[in-house]
Amino acid sequence: MSVWAALAGGFVGTLVLTTALRAANELGLTRVDLPFLLGTVVTRDRARAKALGYLMHLAAGEVFALVYYAIFAAIDTSGWLLGALFGLLHGIVAVTALVNVLLPVVHPRMGSELSAADSSPLLEPPGFLMLNYGRGTPIATLLAHIAYGTIVGGFAA
Amino acid sequence: MVESSARGYVPIADYAAIGDARTVALVARDGSVDWLCLPDLDSPSVFAAVLDAERGGRFELRPDVPAQAQRRYLPDTNVLETTFTTAGGIVRITDAMALPSRELGPTRELIRQVDGIAGEVPMRWSVTPAFGYGAVPPRIGRRGRVPVAIGPRDALAVCSWDAGEAQIDGDAIFGRFDAVEGGSALIALCAAHQEPLVFPRREHVQARLKATIAYWRGWAAQRAYDGPWRDAVIRSALALKLLFHAPSGAIAAAATASLPEEIGGERNWDYRFCWVRDSAFTLEALLHLGCPGEAEAFFWWLLHASQLSHPRLRVLYRLDGGERAPERSLELHGYRGSRPVRVGNDAAAQTQLDIYGDLLQTALIYTDAGGRLDPETGRRLAGIAELVCRIWHEPDSGIWEVRSRPQHFTHSKMMCWIALDRAVRLSEAGHIPSGRASAWRREALAIHDFVETRCWSDRLDSYTRHAGADELDASLLLGVLLGYESSAPGRLPATVNALRRELGRGPLLTRYSGDDGLQGTEGAFLCCSFWLADALARVGQLDAAGELMTELTVLAGDVGLYAEEVDPRTNELLGNMPQGLVHLALINAAVSIGKARGG
Repeated sequence: MSVWAALAGGFVGTLVLTTALRAANELGLTRVDLPFLLGTVVTRDRARAKALGYLMHLAAGEVFALVYYAIFAAIDTSGWLLGALFGLLHGIVAVTALVNVLLPVVHPRMGSELSAADSSPLLEPPGFLMLNYGRGTPIATLLAHIAYGTIVGGFAA
Repeated sequence: MVESSARGYVPIADYAAIGDARTVALVARDGSVDWLCLPDLDSPSVFAAVLDAERGGRFELRPDVPAQAQRRYLPDTNVLETTFTTAGGIVRITDAMALPSRELGPTRELIRQVDGIAGEVPMRWSVTPAFGYGAVPPRIGRRGRVPVAIGPRDALAVCSWDAGEAQIDGDAIFGRFDAVEGGSALIALCAAHQEPLVFPRREHVQARLKATIAYWRGWAAQRAYDGPWRDAVIRSALALKLLFHAPSGAIAAAATASLPEEIGGERNWDYRFCWVRDSAFTLEALLHLGCPGEAEAFFWWLLHASQLSHPRLRVLYRLDGGERAPERSLELHGYRGSRPVRVGNDAAAQTQLDIYGDLLQTALIYTDAGGRLDPETGRRLAGIAELVCRIWHEPDSGIWEVRSRPQHFTHSKMMCWIALDRAVRLSEAGHIPSGRASAWRREALAIHDFVETRCWSDRLDSYTRHAGADELDASLLLGVLLGYESSAPGRLPATVNALRRELGRGPLLTRYSGDDGLQGTEGAFLCCSFWLADALARVGQLDAAGELMTELTVLAGDVGLYAEEVDPRTNELLGNMPQGLVHLALINAAVSIGKARGG
């Protein structure tokens, strides 16, 4: 088990996660766009937001890979199956708390369900289970995170 | 008079187009947006009331009392201004598809500003979106105070300020308000595609509207044209710019699908693709107008799009350069019952020999204007000339994409001659390899011999529609416009006269006589009439050309746009609109006449 392998897994896993969610966009399952959501935290420029968002998402993927690695090290067990389980938990947290609750709180351009149009330039909030972005959003997000966790676990083992 | 009750279909001439070089909305004279595809021009519609008044979806905004409508584009822009005069007052609506700004804004944004000019006018608005050409009912809800309509890939937010309380009733989002003198209301239809919605602030929407008007004025001011019919030419240039697909440089043939060539008929086609046959006219017009950037983008897009099928060309390409455009019929009522309503276009897979001549002519125009071809592109163009040598003697479906059996269309053979002649010229100028130039000359002579002996009728005193036929075809005018060289100098002018005599209906020209494999009839194709004006100027009949142009320019809709055809009996516009080829033909005819007059 090596931290570098976990970081490599984080890199590949984030690419797969991003690609999976993009594919879900194309399939009409969801309108969630994590790089766009992250990028608009730091800029109002749509094009820059998309580019910066990808970098931020990649960085976040590496941070989460380190967290996975720390837990693997603490329990002295790793592997793709455990990684998949972590990915499932990670996905549940993302859907229920991370993007749903935390992001609207810290995002300077995202409204809550109580916001009105004239309060500031607002991004559509994700809503319960991110369902505002489409009914397929929770399942697509969960599956993408399971893929991420599986890859990180597999690399780290 | 605009009635306050719900209405069915309005004349095609009643539509004005607004757009952002990504998509186009058609706004009816009564203030209803009856056509809008999102996120791009060739995407499925969210408003298609023009094709199905009941289920297509629309965005109505109008006085709630009887009113007289007058409208215009703000000068030198693609921003529409409609002024409604009622018994109680006057109200003005400004409609625009906003161009993006540095501020975070929606993916696409349709802005409708309502200004009270005099008195007080009760207004009503209603948004009834129908995603996927009316097949996907939206889920209507709210995000905070803002009403939204959600589809599988797309979502709409209806942000309004001083336009009454936005209410929801079934599949509609609506509101009512009074437009009072000096007051201003604003409604922004904010679209998201595969991403979360953005709800803009009022000042940002207003700033984008102002910037959009400024952009169009700046763009129009840069156009170099200073010849006759300048207003019509600049309006045509602005209409063409609407049909540009900004990410690729492609130009759509028209903004709509399945507006009929005959009311109640089956000739209903999707024109939201780029046709190779329009390429030479497109490049020529762009260069005449002083649009080198757009010309460069279009030329290289065409070469990139056609790369995959090399050396064969597809008749048409999607705006993203893709080749597949499968045709299907939609479950829509059709404009005034004109069915089937088709999207996609099966003409993509037809054999049309003329397009090779169009591509090589386009390359010659590009290089004559100072453009350079890289060696790889030169080899590809030479490969296309080789293909023409092999296939020119085959029958094809011709420029009009007839669905009857293939024929030896004269225009197609003329264009094959043009293809090889231009290949020789390009090789002589060093733009493409010259190793096979003598073989191209030989084949060009053989084609010429075929046209001159088998496609000429002494009885008609004209070239014929196809070899051995006794029919005429307006596409023969392109021989004059694109520089086909006949064996006797009088043949082309005689053909121009014969076409005018046999196919003319007043200032209009029908496309051809004879069968095309389809039921019913069609109107007169406006591009043919502008080609005739152009050809008349080129064969020295300058006065006739000028008179014809003047007659044709009054056939446009009230805001200067043309659909594909005109019904010669009623002068009603028919077919898809705004139609790029008609506007291209108008520009090129005006330039030809200006040049012939010594301008």
